[in-house]
Amino acid sequence: MARMKFICDAERCIECNSCATACKNEHEVPWGVNRRRVVTLNDGVPGERSISVACMHCTDAPCMAVCPVDCFYRTEDDIVLHDKDLCIGCGYCYYACPFGAPQFPQAGAFGLRGKMDKCTYCAGGPEENFSVEEFRKYGRNRIAEGKLPLCAEMCSTKALIAGDSAVIAKIYKTRVVTRGKGEQLWGWATAYGGSDKVSDNLGTSA
Amino acid sequence: MKKIALTVAAALVLAACHEVPQDAAKPYAGKEDVQPYAGDLFKGDKQKFETALAERASHEDEYNRTGDAKK
Repeated sequence: MARMKFICDAERCIECNSCATACKNEHEVPWGVNRRRVVTLNDGVPGERSISVACMHCTDAPCMAVCPVDCFYRTEDDIVLHDKDLCIGCGYCYYACPFGAPQFPQAGAFGLRGKMDKCTYCAGGPEENFSVEEFRKYGRNRIAEGKLPLCAEMCSTKALIAGDSAVIAKIYKTRVVTRGKGEQLWGWATAYGGSDKVSDNLGTSA
Repeated sequence: MKKIALTVAAALVLAACHEVPQDAAKPYAGKEDVQPYAGDLFKGDKQKFETALAERASHEDEYNRTGDAKK
């Protein structure tokens, strides 16, 4: 049984926001709702790092624990989904989630909070696969088509990878072992060859 | 006697060293979802479905594609 997860490699993310755009377009996510977003730390400062964040489909999901109407469930592949017909839009899951994944559309004349919306790992929801209702409530069901989430498949630098945790952990491990760390990482040696250390060539630390 | 006392003491001291569930397991109250491989595409063949996903995942590893990964 697969355990579907996301990994975002902060060394590769270039903050292009194509993951967020792909998600918005694929699922026709309403205005004001962002199932995925790119967060940048130390923006504008040399050494800034970006990471793409959405529902991480936690193994021990706090949203499931706090939901008063028990509208969350876990698929066979460990994808955390919810039933919008049951959701009351209370917002408890928003406070419980460490990633800020649950989103609430503003509905009605007084800006009432609608039913919770979040990343579905492109796996739809508790409606008939590929049905109009499923698309309207949860978006496209790529998993049932044998495809992975579009955000990850769209990522140009492959910073964001999705799939079975064992498989993507192996991909990430290969990547880290191959590229090295510190100054070897996308640094002088990668661009110009020669010594692995910038300090060996320039006499100064990068 | 000392051994027994030590064992009992260790058991008491270590009693808190495990993860206590923070909440009771709650059943899902919503509509049942069908399996993603239940449709016409995979016709209920879970193995075929998992192979398709693994194939897609392998395309995410460019070292694998170019053969540049360190052996």
